[in-house]
Amino acid sequence: MAKLPVEIEKIIDIFGPHKNYAPVDGYVGKDEPDEVVKTHCCFCGMQCGIKLLVKENKVVGFEPWMEFPFNEGRLCPKGVQRYLQNNHPDRLLHPIQRVEGKGFEKVSWDDAMDKTVSEIKRIQEKYGKHAFSMLSGVSLTNEKSYLVGKFARVALKTRNLDYNGRLCMVSAGAGNKKAFGLDRASNNYSDLEYAEVIIVTGANISETFPTLTHWIWKARDRGAKLIVVDPRVIPLARTADIHLDVRPGTDSALYGAMLKYLVDHDMLDHDFIDNHTSGFQETIDAVKDYTLEWAEEITGISKEKIKAAAELWGKAKTSFLLHARGIEHHSKGVDNVVGCINLVLATGRIGKPYCGYGTITGQGNGQGGREHGHKCDQLPGNRDIENPAHRQYIADVWGIKEEDLPHTGLTAYEIIEAIHRGEIKGLISLCFNPLVSLPNNNYVRSALEKLEFYVCIDFFLNETARHADIVLAGSLQEEEEGTTTSAEGRVIRIRQAVTPPGEARTDTSILLEIAERLGEKDKFTYQNSEEIFNELRVASKGGTADYFGISYKKVEDNMGIFWPCPTEDHPGTPRLWEDRKFKTPDGKAHFNPAPYKLPGEVTDVEYPITLTTGRVVSQYLSGTQTRRIGKLVDQFPEPMVEIHPEMAMKYGIKQRELVRVSTRRGEGIFPANIVETIRKDTVFIPYHWPGHKSANQLTPGTLDPISKIPEFKVCACQLDPQGTIAPSANESEAYASV
Amino acid sequence: MKNKTFNTKALLVATLVSALTIVFVFLGSRQLQNFDAALVTYLFGTIFAFFGIVYRYTVWLQRPPTWMYFKRSLKFLFTGKIFAHLWFLGKESVQNIVLQKFIYPRSKYRWIAHFCIAIGCLSAFAITIPLTFGWIHFTLAPNSISIYEAHFFGFKMMDFQINSFMAFLIFHALNWSSWLVIIGSVYYLRRRLTNPGLIATQTFEGDLLPLILLIAISVTGLCLTYSYQFMKGFAYDFLAVIHAVTVIMFLIWIPFGKFFHIIQRPAQIGAHIYKQEGIKKGMAVCPHTGEQFATKLHIDDLKIVTKQLGFDFTHEDGTSHLDLSPEGKRSRLAQAHLKARVGGGNLFG
Amino acid sequence: MNLTNFNTSEEFFVDMQRCIGCKACEMACAECETNGQQTLISVNYVDRASTIQTTVQVCMHCEDPVCANVCPADAISQDEFGVVHTASTERCIGCSNCVMACPFGVPKKVEEYDLMMKCTMCYDRTSVGKKPMCATVCPSGALFYGTREQIEEMRPNSTPINNFIFGKEKVKTKVNIMMPKGSTELRIY
Repeated sequence: MAKLPVEIEKIIDIFGPHKNYAPVDGYVGKDEPDEVVKTHCCFCGMQCGIKLLVKENKVVGFEPWMEFPFNEGRLCPKGVQRYLQNNHPDRLLHPIQRVEGKGFEKVSWDDAMDKTVSEIKRIQEKYGKHAFSMLSGVSLTNEKSYLVGKFARVALKTRNLDYNGRLCMVSAGAGNKKAFGLDRASNNYSDLEYAEVIIVTGANISETFPTLTHWIWKARDRGAKLIVVDPRVIPLARTADIHLDVRPGTDSALYGAMLKYLVDHDMLDHDFIDNHTSGFQETIDAVKDYTLEWAEEITGISKEKIKAAAELWGKAKTSFLLHARGIEHHSKGVDNVVGCINLVLATGRIGKPYCGYGTITGQGNGQGGREHGHKCDQLPGNRDIENPAHRQYIADVWGIKEEDLPHTGLTAYEIIEAIHRGEIKGLISLCFNPLVSLPNNNYVRSALEKLEFYVCIDFFLNETARHADIVLAGSLQEEEEGTTTSAEGRVIRIRQAVTPPGEARTDTSILLEIAERLGEKDKFTYQNSEEIFNELRVASKGGTADYFGISYKKVEDNMGIFWPCPTEDHPGTPRLWEDRKFKTPDGKAHFNPAPYKLPGEVTDVEYPITLTTGRVVSQYLSGTQTRRIGKLVDQFPEPMVEIHPEMAMKYGIKQRELVRVSTRRGEGIFPANIVETIRKDTVFIPYHWPGHKSANQLTPGTLDPISKIPEFKVCACQLDPQGTIAPSANESEAYASV
Repeated sequence: MKNKTFNTKALLVATLVSALTIVFVFLGSRQLQNFDAALVTYLFGTIFAFFGIVYRYTVWLQRPPTWMYFKRSLKFLFTGKIFAHLWFLGKESVQNIVLQKFIYPRSKYRWIAHFCIAIGCLSAFAITIPLTFGWIHFTLAPNSISIYEAHFFGFKMMDFQINSFMAFLIFHALNWSSWLVIIGSVYYLRRRLTNPGLIATQTFEGDLLPLILLIAISVTGLCLTYSYQFMKGFAYDFLAVIHAVTVIMFLIWIPFGKFFHIIQRPAQIGAHIYKQEGIKKGMAVCPHTGEQFATKLHIDDLKIVTKQLGFDFTHEDGTSHLDLSPEGKRSRLAQAHLKARVGGGNLFG
Repeated sequence: MNLTNFNTSEEFFVDMQRCIGCKACEMACAECETNGQQTLISVNYVDRASTIQTTVQVCMHCEDPVCANVCPADAISQDEFGVVHTASTERCIGCSNCVMACPFGVPKKVEEYDLMMKCTMCYDRTSVGKKPMCATVCPSGALFYGTREQIEEMRPNSTPINNFIFGKEKVKTKVNIMMPKGSTELRIY
């Protein structure tokens, strides 16, 4: 019974999102804080250092942390405003339960736990262990990520655990494992400083990772050439040396053509290719027909620009290639990633100073969270859940029998599909708002309505949690000790600045109590986060993501340690592959053929326009936190559909006119923003908003066959102008859209 | 700032007003028969303050932007629908001068504190100035030992029983003013000593001294009352001197320091009238953003005023940089910067 | 005479071509103690229909500030360090003369307060050795606060300039804008 208990407006009225603003003179005590806590931003993978000001167990402000080496005090608007998630009127202060016809009512922890555990037991007895699933997220610390992996396998005994990293870095992870046998950005960002050429592809750095801009600008001050690949003129692209305005869904054609150009003009590092790589021949065979003309035809980028980019890349002595979701959110996301890696390997520019490559991990702990057994096919240390030796090692660490350890389960979107099929009947979620962030969210909603029992752990009642039977009031990032691993692979300390307010509890204590009530207390005996981390160190030992040599003290003393760090006297590894010993079975870096394939959905007469989605600078992912912070909402009050003037003219669309955008899955009405900064054949909608304002009403559930990432970045749509001009943006109240 | 140090016009006006004041003191006190000789130091202080205020006010009015506002608002006030204009003036005076409503959104407590000070000070002025000038005096009613009469300009205004509540209110009126001023000033002093933003930007003579002065005047004034009422006149003479010194310092300080804002504040109403009338005459549209941003009158007047002040933002084609809205100006600067960057061969550098 | 001392060894350097429009500076400005949740720095699209270009504008702290000159209430003052202070709350009559006359489009009229507010170069921070909030958080270096030697080392291809020409008026400022190497002034058309 996971339909909404009352009208959605009533739920929004009580639980928000409501916009939170600081008082006119700031919070009381900001001038004389009890404590100044050096920790990190709760948002993206940059994990910028920040100091939180605490007064009487409340976060009342922030101060830049000038000494932290990555950001040296720099922050983006989300970072500046992040302190406002504390002291928030929407904050859940006690557990609540669904009451039909009334909404949500307060319930005691004891009753909430009783109900939760009895429902888990009932469903698992009736339908089998795997009929109860778990969805989690990587805004969680390493400790919690590890705990969730163990909790699902050991306490819930389900194989169906997956996480929102499935919408984030899985294509990069799969591509990196194929090429290097290890999943981490190969370099830290200080290697950008003297790179001669930087390619940024599918990464809107200035909006999604603003503080990384500094490192790119720094390189440009030293003379670096910047190549940006994006269908839109994003802020980074405006001043770039070359902007490759790629047609969504054709990235691999571009990389293929560039690789062929490098081969044809012998801009290759033969020594590196011969001695340290494999698979070169079949990879270049796959692109032998990818001429510049062909690439221009497919990608829509002029051949002169592709050639210029290939020349720059080919001739450089040092370089850095960065990519993000723009190339990964595709039904061929893994192909795109290996296509990029092929360009890096062909020039041999890796494992050396200022020669770098990496995906820019999106979520706060997107890197660490994807290493510790948080995924349906993975065990801690980035081990393989189907590898007998790996299974045995982890079973021993956890004190269970290897045969009791579940095997590979379903991925996030597949869990939704399984709920539809009636195979999954129960769900526990934490740190995930799939109703906004998964594609095709009408389909997701009807899945939630089919669940027999859904329990959610969260600090706010997010859009998905409105469908829950029980919501357990959990903790914010600043309410628990722990570590995260930034996009650079730097393990850093998250500090508990305050304790959870009211009756809210830490996520960890909630999971531990459920585990205890499920009869597995002896496997979950941690006294604090550090004990969990110390078990994680052992569990990761010998795996590719080896944290064994990292301790809390070491992290604190050094302002972060880069994994792998296999022994306690190891200094960590800021730059990978200096030894040329790759983690693949043959010890070599692998070229992988990446032939161009069509996206999952192509334009046709009925749906003639390409739709792509992305983000804006003031919002973060599904907006559970950022749609509740007043100034961040006001910065981008509503999603608009970006349309090129030529397309607008063709359809007779005026600036801010309401336009219905429809796809085979759904439709939404958005004001038009007519701008020359987008391809003529493409429209763009940012996705952070819920309900009728959600771009993910439109996106498809097509998945990459390897990584199972959904294809958010390309689908076919039609435009239908409504003839009315949209009311002012602030009136739209899109942040709390039904 | 392009201010002259000496201003003949202002000197003339100020002298005239001071002389007139003295004449009115003579008239109002019925040739000094109602004048209280004990207040003579206060009289000189007040007249000197009048001189200073008028001098400063006249200098101020002569500044091109001030004169423009002064001229325009008076003209608007007395042309067209004069009655409606006066009604607007009255309404604005109550809201802005009496109630100071614009402070309320900045902070409720700041508004309460300021209101206390303002009412305290204004009521004190209303009592002490006529008393000092001999315009008000109290006498026992003829043939009575229990009824007091109040006179203004020598004319009888009212009478009241000596032991009545009314008498209590009237004879202690300055005490009530003092308490209000103390409450407000202590709040502001505390704020100025604890708020980091204010600590960083305030000056002692500009911001702290005025508050200290207000508190000193009020406290010494109250002490005088309590000295003769409860302490048999203990240290009365000493207190009287201190009180007089603080009051005269305050009076002389008005034209030069923070307290001049009491005299300046009505100009706010002028600005409101100016804006309201300007809207009626039409809005200026920014050539960059294409949106209305100010009244056309305002922009046109500013072009005149800036030229009078020695600034000329006229382009060669006759248009002015001042035709642009603030956003337009920022954008044009950025475009010029972009052009310069492109001209330098690199967008980035 | 102020009770606090302004740090004179560091200066403000702006390069709006580096601006990525994120508005971190706007958010951070509101955290500054001198202006209580009001943002005094401006970031705006230059012409969104044709470009993603944004610009960022702090108070340039002119040597002869037009804003102070056109103020009918003598509410804007300049101190001995050349910092042009925000309108004094007791004097400002909210007329907006400064808002419309400033050639850089800096002062903001806060309607509900009937008061103009503008950047004071984070006096509360700069006077105790910290950098202004906006320049501290700026992730793109569009705003930089530091010494002249630092900026010369960091931006070898640029020259800071502080002369601006608006029509017939030449305005000299305390804040610098980074221009192509060898530039001496910026002419605004």
